[in-house]
Amino acid sequence: MFGYVRPPLQDLPQEETERFRRIYCGLCHTLGQRCGTAARFILNYDFTYLAILLSAGREGARHTARCIAHPVHGRTYLESDAAMETAADESVILAYWQLRDGVADHDWFHSLKYRGLSDLLEPAYRRAAAARPGFDESTRRQLRLLAELEAENCDSLDRAADAFAALLSGAAQEVDEPVRRRVLEQLLYHLGRWVYLVDAADDLKKDTASGNYNPVALRFGLTDGAWTPEARREFAATLDHSIHMMTTAFELWDFGVWTPILETTLYNGLFRVGKAVLDGTFQAAWRGEDRKKSTNVEGTT
Amino acid sequence: MNDPYQVLGVSESATDEEVKRAYRELARKYHPDNYHDNPLADLAQEKMKEINAAYEEITKMRSGGRGGSSGGYGGYQRGGAYQQYGQQSSSGSSVLQQVRIAINSGDISRAEALLANYSDHNAEWNFLRGAVCYRRGWMDEAKRYYQTACQMDPGNPEYRQALNFMENGTQQAYRPGGGQFSTELCGGNLCLPLCCLWWLCPGGWFCC
Repeated sequence: MFGYVRPPLQDLPQEETERFRRIYCGLCHTLGQRCGTAARFILNYDFTYLAILLSAGREGARHTARCIAHPVHGRTYLESDAAMETAADESVILAYWQLRDGVADHDWFHSLKYRGLSDLLEPAYRRAAAARPGFDESTRRQLRLLAELEAENCDSLDRAADAFAALLSGAAQEVDEPVRRRVLEQLLYHLGRWVYLVDAADDLKKDTASGNYNPVALRFGLTDGAWTPEARREFAATLDHSIHMMTTAFELWDFGVWTPILETTLYNGLFRVGKAVLDGTFQAAWRGEDRKKSTNVEGTT
Repeated sequence: MNDPYQVLGVSESATDEEVKRAYRELARKYHPDNYHDNPLADLAQEKMKEINAAYEEITKMRSGGRGGSSGGYGGYQRGGAYQQYGQQSSSGSSVLQQVRIAINSGDISRAEALLANYSDHNAEWNFLRGAVCYRRGWMDEAKRYYQTACQMDPGNPEYRQALNFMENGTQQAYRPGGGQFSTELCGGNLCLPLCCLWWLCPGGWFCC
């Protein structure tokens, strides 16, 4: 999806970052087993958080295996369970429809990339959609709604964000326990709202320059892509309200072994990412340098 | 009932001071103020009851069963009064009163339908519309309706309080270990705090 939800590594002991890595690798293996090798390429942090939220709060059996990314030493990963299978299927459905969206949003030439990737993911998507028809249906509906709002240049932050937030909260629809479902729906709704808004803020300059739809620019009248102090304050307050809704929901369910990772992400990580996006430093500091430094970091873990 | 020590997350050998500290931390977390107008407030209220009962039981056990008083936490004990909207409509409209009742009972769709059919968009209507938006998670719209309500009736403390909460309310929200609950006030440390540990794993490069 967007890559804004990440584990704040500096705030977590190594034991916890290792735990995060195990479920990350576990989800990758689950994607491969259930949906084929092509599906493994959609893996990202956002989907890992989905697997964490849907999991039963325990770590299952661990295995070690080599893979394309770790051909020499291999990695320990978590065995697949029902929650991870749900997360894998839902991730494939989300990734597929986002690629199809990319095809629709671009002209013939620029949509080639999206077309190629979505064709590659098509068989995986078919399997996942057959397993989760409800989620497939709600995802399509919400993305269609979002496209309509974009087409009509909707200037309501909340209406636009609601379409994406409701999509994400739909990921909890298969949870049986009613209290747990309420907690997850609320948490995922505001996670979706936060991600959508932060993404719009991150694209503010780019969108205003190219004339693309941007709900933040429309809501606050920021035609030149620069924040006014007033708009920035109001926008940060609305982000904080969503984070508050996430943390208050999070505290009402026992997430077991995942508690430290989720707690640190929700109470620290989201604020940091939001601040960096508002300061305009997110892209440069956290995306660009990821690529350069990844080899070093990879070597030390 | 669950083991009271487990509820507070302390061992049986914890000192009175440790028990009190654990209780205070949990009480701060689940306090009605932290779940003001929250759609999950009922669950927090359950938690709060459980914590209060556990603390009371431990205090009673430790004082040898004498006296029922658990000591000066009246503020948390009854904290109660989940900020309910006054049952009495401030503009005296019976429809808006029904809206308040619907919001208090968590029936947001009914409240929304009643508001949609009410043509006098007065200060109270805007306030209640804001309350419905807040419950739905439409935080920006909620603030704008509260703003309108305050402009139409500047002297109304209920509307003013709601608007203040939208503007600065989260700064006092619970955060483990204290610290302000705010994007703008967080220490903006940029030395790759969220760096991508496993960039070389498949995926990522086209998912943005």
